[in-house]
Amino acid sequence: MIEIQLTVNGKDYTVNIEEDKRLLDVLREDLGFTGVKEGCSEGECGACTVIMDGKTVNSCMVMGFQANGSNIVTIEGLEKDGQLHPIQQAFIDIGAVQCGYCTPGMILSAKALLDKNPNPTKEEIREGISGNLCRCTGYSKIVKAVEKARGYEDES
Amino acid sequence: MIVHRGKTIEEVIELLAKYKDSKIIAGGTDVILDIKDNKIFPEALIDISSIEELKGIELKGDFIEIGAGTTFTEIAEDEIFEKNLHGLKKACKLIGSPQIRNRGTVGGNIVNGSPAADSIPPLLCLESTLIFESLEGIRKVKLEDYLKSKYRIKEHELLTKIRFKNPEGLLNFIKLAIRKALAISRMSIATLIELDEEEKVKDIKVASGSLGRYPMRELEVEEFLLGTILGEYTVDEAVNILQNAMEKRLKGRPTLPYKKRAVKSLLKEALNQRIRSSRRVIS
Repeated sequence: MIEIQLTVNGKDYTVNIEEDKRLLDVLREDLGFTGVKEGCSEGECGACTVIMDGKTVNSCMVMGFQANGSNIVTIEGLEKDGQLHPIQQAFIDIGAVQCGYCTPGMILSAKALLDKNPNPTKEEIREGISGNLCRCTGYSKIVKAVEKARGYEDES
Repeated sequence: MIVHRGKTIEEVIELLAKYKDSKIIAGGTDVILDIKDNKIFPEALIDISSIEELKGIELKGDFIEIGAGTTFTEIAEDEIFEKNLHGLKKACKLIGSPQIRNRGTVGGNIVNGSPAADSIPPLLCLESTLIFESLEGIRKVKLEDYLKSKYRIKEHELLTKIRFKNPEGLLNFIKLAIRKALAISRMSIATLIELDEEEKVKDIKVASGSLGRYPMRELEVEEFLLGTILGEYTVDEAVNILQNAMEKRLKGRPTLPYKKRAVKSLLKEALNQRIRSSRRVIS
């Protein structure tokens, strides 16, 4: 076992983990952030996407011990005081959610994109979410939802 | 399994000497899959992803040095690769997905040694040198020689830098894959071409990915194009030469007929883009 410290959604945690545990499992099993989904487990689908030190990563491809000292944002960290994040709200308003399994990762990829580039073109949005697979929607409503959320004021 | 987070190069090469059966992990985009699939059982896993001295791109006189731990995102966003070195940026931008590019490193791409590693053909055109460090000291190997297996990384070594001369010519990269994101290259071509005042090819490097057991320079194509003026005839002839070289190399492989046809548009496109980007376009 090895002790790691990390910040998740603004809160500090110290956990003892097995050496071979992935960040995905630490977040889901040890810390209860089940909004992080496991899909393909090999970096193809993006369902397990989290924002690590400002950048999206597949949490199935980061070892738990590599995340020691890092700052993680999961989907649970987007809502503030009972208010959905503007990207979450846009996904609901546009109807960009069907089965919902890809949604947490998709929204975090969209957030990382908009944090860096508040007014992306359609092409830049498609590029920004290219690491997240959705088998329900055909993507067009997802792209529309991100377009709707463009230019939101992020108070965080 | 023992895990270590290395903080300096020195610490890592000491750990590599201490543990005979160890594995380096940087971005982890290949290593974690091997661990999960029980393909490797290292005694020690040494993380280098937070070692600052392995990161970054530096201009040193005429040379450019890329730290082995620099991610594809960091390369794709560096201004140094905006102009004549755009081909390296393009190759890195086409790897995997944003999430993979945020973690995957150029050093990992080289050491993992896939024939389809996208960053390698441009680095071959640049005649890059790899710098390895170990307790025994520093070892420098040409990337081209490294790929020919007998100079491969030794167990106690760490790849720390990739170094090349900032070229006069224009670097380009073209890749064919089944879809744009998250697809491994079916094949790729990188070219580095310098034209003289009369538009003749003054210097040329051509390298391919997935057209052999490892990415390699296409010397016969280079030899033919050197001194010529790029145009319809020379481009077609260059394609023929490459196809013949592939025929010898990939003989008996089921993918050969497909690859031979597909490489035609790939090399044509790479050379035609060079023609179009030259100031005086030859009509």
